[in-house]
Amino acid sequence: MTDTEILQLYRSGEREKAFRGLVSTYKERLYWHIRRMVLDHDDTDDCLQNTFVKVWQSLDRFRGDALLYTWLYRIATNESLTFLSRQQTRGGNLDLEAAARLATDPWFDGDQLQRSLHKAIAKLPPKQKAVFNLRYFEEMPYEKIADVLETSEGALKASYHHAYEKIKTWMKEEIDEKF
Amino acid sequence: MNEQKDILSSPEARENPFRMPEGYLDSFEDRLMARIAAEEKPAASRTVRFWTILKPALTLAAMFALIFGMGYGVLSLTRTMGNKPGTDASASYATAEEEMIRPASLINYYQTGPTEEPELDEDAILDYLASELSFSELAEIYAQAY
Repeated sequence: MTDTEILQLYRSGEREKAFRGLVSTYKERLYWHIRRMVLDHDDTDDCLQNTFVKVWQSLDRFRGDALLYTWLYRIATNESLTFLSRQQTRGGNLDLEAAARLATDPWFDGDQLQRSLHKAIAKLPPKQKAVFNLRYFEEMPYEKIADVLETSEGALKASYHHAYEKIKTWMKEEIDEKF
Repeated sequence: MNEQKDILSSPEARENPFRMPEGYLDSFEDRLMARIAAEEKPAASRTVRFWTILKPALTLAAMFALIFGMGYGVLSLTRTMGNKPGTDASASYATAEEEMIRPASLINYYQTGPTEEPELDEDAILDYLASELSFSELAEIYAQAY
């Protein structure tokens, strides 16, 4: 279902049908986006549900001046950032926790390279992590990332470049330690 | 450096290493809708509970308002009837008094107006007395007079 179809259905009064269409269209993309941010499946499930609950509650206020998917990504990203921020507030070490989680996660099938990459990504500040994930894995244009994160394209490009360099360095260090 | 850059540039690095439990996405919508329904229910019952608490207070307030309104209405009506616009109470009483007095004055005017007193004729009086009174009554009046 396209964004236009979903919105037309919603405006014609078929609120639940439109919402179900929206969930069906976006649940998988948003799941993977959140999963790369928070890593754990159960945490991802919580964040994804929270995201759609917020969408349900505020669909009336969706002005339509942004793309529906940009708006959904923004809510999902904010939900992930809130989750990570809460984790940090509880005194958790995101870096170590991520390493432990990836080592024991039954829903992670990555090889050594992928494990090393996701551990390095976990070390990034949360917002920079969002920039890196959206650009690197989802290949989202900077213009759209700017809409999602409500930041300038220039700042995003710089942020992505720094993240890329840091990840390369951390991965190199890890490889050097092992061999 | 190039070796590391190649690692990040390799398609393998971009591959998704995560998995999700089987059937997770299939059941997601139903679980989500169940959660939304569960969250909306207490919100609705909270509204009902709020109304239940508020209802007696609102009824009482409405009754007070009604009583006050009725009292105020009666008072305003009384004032409107007693007062003509732009006059005070004493002036209105004076007006009312004047209106009550005026018909009486008119009656008095016609009753006490400049009418001529008819002159009494002595013979007519004697004729009247002779025809209306008996001899003994006339004798009694005469005795009293003289």
